[in-house]
This record gives sequence, structure tokens and C-alpha cells, in this order.
Amino acid sequence: MTSPASTPVPQGAGSASTPSVPPTRSVQRDGAASSSLGTFGVKSGLAQMLKGGVIMDVVNAEQARIAEEAGACAVMALERVPADIRATGGVARMSDPSMIKEIVEAVTIPVMAKVRIGHFVEAQILQAIGVDYIDESEVLTPADEEHHINKHNFKIPFVCGARNLGEALRRISEGAAFIRTKGEAGTGNVVEAVRHERAVQSEIRKASAMSEDELYAFAKEIQAPLHLLKETARLKRLPVVNFAAGGIATPADAALMMQLGCDGVFVGSGIFKSGDAAKRARAIVQAVTHYNNPKILAEVSENLGEAMVGLTIDDQLKGGHLASRGW
Amino acid sequence: MVYTVVIVYDSHPALQGAFAEHQKSQERLESNGEVKVVQVRTKEDLDKCDALVIPGGESTTIALLARLSGLLDPLKEFIKAKPVWGTCAGAILLSKVVTGAKKGGQELLGGMSVTIARNGWGSQVESFEAPLEVPGLKNPEDPFSGVFIRAPVLLSLDQPPEYPPIQVIARLPENVVPHAIPSDATEPLETWFGINSNLEGGGEDPKRVVAIRQGRHLLTTFHPELTRDNRFHEYFVRECVIPGLLST
Repeated sequence: MTSPASTPVPQGAGSASTPSVPPTRSVQRDGAASSSLGTFGVKSGLAQMLKGGVIMDVVNAEQARIAEEAGACAVMALERVPADIRATGGVARMSDPSMIKEIVEAVTIPVMAKVRIGHFVEAQILQAIGVDYIDESEVLTPADEEHHINKHNFKIPFVCGARNLGEALRRISEGAAFIRTKGEAGTGNVVEAVRHERAVQSEIRKASAMSEDELYAFAKEIQAPLHLLKETARLKRLPVVNFAAGGIATPADAALMMQLGCDGVFVGSGIFKSGDAAKRARAIVQAVTHYNNPKILAEVSENLGEAMVGLTIDDQLKGGHLASRGW
Repeated sequence: MVYTVVIVYDSHPALQGAFAEHQKSQERLESNGEVKVVQVRTKEDLDKCDALVIPGGESTTIALLARLSGLLDPLKEFIKAKPVWGTCAGAILLSKVVTGAKKGGQELLGGMSVTIARNGWGSQVESFEAPLEVPGLKNPEDPFSGVFIRAPVLLSLDQPPEYPPIQVIARLPENVVPHAIPSDATEPLETWFGINSNLEGGGEDPKRVVAIRQGRHLLTTFHPELTRDNRFHEYFVRECVIPGLLST
């Protein structure tokens, strides 16, 4: 017989399994008491299926098809990618449902779409047209400066951005089934995403070493619900899937976020604002799978053409600091 | 004796998807010292394995990553020789024919003589959980919680002579089925209703079938790895993997 197994598994994407926080609410399907729709299990479960994958921003059906062919595990449908929202300014809102529906029709992979922070009616509309996931996103102009959407009220699952552990756990307590870093969208600059992921991981490590007494105090300090903080400390990771987002522009950026412990990657402006979108998209998909294999990373990073123009993140940043939206 | 069970997730064997969940479920079986689990991303990883689990995820992504990693042909060869279990996206990849595929079609690995429809229930808001009666599992009196996420639907179970017989392992409760008619099917509904099963006993509605076994392959349209119940993992090892290893 033999040694029980544990082959060491690299840290990061998908290497740790993700238990789900217990269902907080489930909706019974009318007329069929034995099955239930929209449980937390199926909401967080879809995020688990996206792990190790890349979710790409697309503005039309043609881009969505390019993303699907390049191996995207989902697409985010929106009218303007963050780099354009920055450049043109004004209030950024939910996209036209007809444009989102065209993208849903064009691809077989899950389609996500963004709503403004706190705008629960935009979320009701997206649920009604059959989108697969909603991003309550700081990239759009917030509709409510105090309240996020009560996401338990929806059958459709939500992903939300977070800069630190407290913010992530507040979003999960509101019903988010999926967390991403905020990063600084539309800049092509990965520094903020790295800051946010490192903050989350560092706070998780801290919490994991704490006694129960200390967790009470820590929950107060980071303004997180105690039961979710305890669960996080026990699991030594966020209780839902955690992706990187905001400023990822190259395969190396994507692999960096994976090695820092993310389960997958969102790429917004980084693909369709670059020279050869299809090639770059495919390279980033491969980089996320082989994030721990520098030889493959080198191969896929070759000859990708021009990356999107990067912006320095300082007080003069055009379009402002999106990551500071949300509370 | 070491049995290596390769869990394929993600864009190949750990390519994209819920591979870590399968790994954890399978590792709970490791205490008996018979099962070792590795993640498969390359052909070298695959060569270590006596069996393979292809996880949930996006089947288009998994197939593309398999091709880019040079794993497509090795996987097809593997399926001809060794036990493989596909869940959800993995089930699609094991099927002979898929409907509702992306434009231009999608690559399959094949291995099981069934036709399957992608996203057979519709979008994510139609994803659901349902209790399943599964007589082949340990403690069969306890229902198994089936988690169906944008799940595929079996359209026909064919029985060509060159394939081993298909054995139905689990069906949905009858009161769930009326809701299972795809809301976004591109084919007219008659196509969905008119399907005949060639199984023994005949007249079985394949759309209710959510787990089948064919030879040493196992197919589930739901996600046993998302529950804490590892009876399906135990079943795969006991029924599909170990008998083949003992006979060689």
C-alpha cells in the first residue's frame, strides 16, 4: 500500500478548494417543492466553475465571439470599457438591454453585466433579461452613496469589488457570491489590484492566527460580520471565489495575480484596447492556466503586439480613482 | 498499490473550472491509501494517471486549453484506455454529439455514445438544486443533493454495438422535469419532446437522466464536487477505477 497522497499543489488559482458559505436564503421554485432555484449553492457554484479562467470585457457581439474563441470562461457585456469611461467622462450606467441580449445570443459561455452600486432596479432588469451574473461595479457611477444592493433578494448571483478583507466580507454578507479586487480599472496599471489582493491575503493570514477573543476585536476593526470573519479564519481563504480585476494588461500581470492567490482574472480594457486582441486574449487565458510555469508564460508572452497604453495612478488620473467608490 | 486518479479541471485536466473541489472530494477518499490525486495541465501530468476526472467549468475553454497544451490527442487516447468521469462541462466533453454549441461548433473528446445539449435549462437564474435517489451509492436511502449549474441535458442515449451498455445511475424526480424544458433551445420544442431512448426498457425520457455509466466511464450533468457528500467519488473509484486496475 502506500503513502496517502498529497502532491503539493501550487498556491493560487484554483489550487485551494472553495467551500461556500452556507445558503443564507433559498427561493423555492413554484410548483416543484423538491427543487430550489437561486440558492447560495448555485450562485457561488457558478463562480467555482469560472475558476482558473479569464472573464473579458466586451462591447458588442463580435468582441464576445473573439473572447469565446480565445477561451474566455465568461464575458462582461458593457457599452464602454473602463478606459473609454475614463476618457469620455459623464455618468456611466447599465448598458442597453438590447445590446446585452445580442451578446447573450452570440455566445454559449456565461454573460455578465454591470449595474451601478446600489441601483437595485438596474439589477432587476438584468435578472429579467436572463444575464448569468451581475457585477455591482465601481466602474459605473454609483447610484447610492450609502447602501449596496441587497443581493439576497435576487436569484441571479452578484460579483462585487473589494480593496480589503472587511470590504469583501461586507459584500458577502449582503449576498455577493463572488469577490474580485477593485484594482484601478481602465489604467492598464496592475499596482492597485496587487495592493488589494495583498491586503486581503495579509488580513486573512492575520485572522487565521487569532484567538476567538481577538477575532471579535478584529471584526470590529475591519467592520466585518463576525460569523464571516470566523469562517474565513477557519478556511484560511475567502469563503467565496476571489478573482483579480482592475488594470491587468499582460499575461504576466494575470499570472502575477494568480500567484498572489487569486482564483482567476477579469480583463477589462486590456484586451480590446491592445494591438492584437485575439492573440492577447488567448495568451492571457493560457497564462492563467499555466501561471506557475515561467517557460510557458515566456512562450505565450511573445509577439503580442502593442499593449494598451498604461496610466500612472496619481491625483491627476483622468476619470478619478474608481476604487474609492463603494463602502 | 497506488492508484492515481487524475482530476482534470480547468482548461485541461486542471485547465479551468472547479478542479480543486474535485481534488478535495477525492482526497477525502485517500485515507485508505489507495487513491492519489494530481492536477493535470500537461501530458506529463496525464501520463501519471490511471483515471481522470474532467471537472465542471466551461467546456469551450477546457477544450481550447487542451488543444493549446497539446493534450487533446493524449486525452482522446486516455479515454479509449482508462476510466474517465466527466461532470457538467466534463460530461459535455465526453459526449459523442453536442447541441447548442458555440458558433462553428466545439471540440469534444468523445467516449460515451450520448447526445447532450449545452445549457439545457437556460441561463444561470434557472440553475437549481434537487435531491436525487441514487440506488448505486452507499447509503442509498439518503438522497444525493444534485447541484445543477447551467447544466447540460442528455437528449439521447444511443447504444451502438461497439460501445458498452449504458447504465442509468440517477434520474431527476418527476416533478422537476417539466421545468427542465430548455427555455433557450434553438431547436423547436418538438425536437426536444420527440427524442427516443434506445435503452433497454425503452420509453425512458433521457432529459430526466442526470448520471450514467458506460463501461468504465461515468457522466454526471450535476456537480457532486460542490457538496460535502463524496459518495459519487467513492462510487467512481469503487466501480470504475479499481476493477480495471485489479484485472491488469
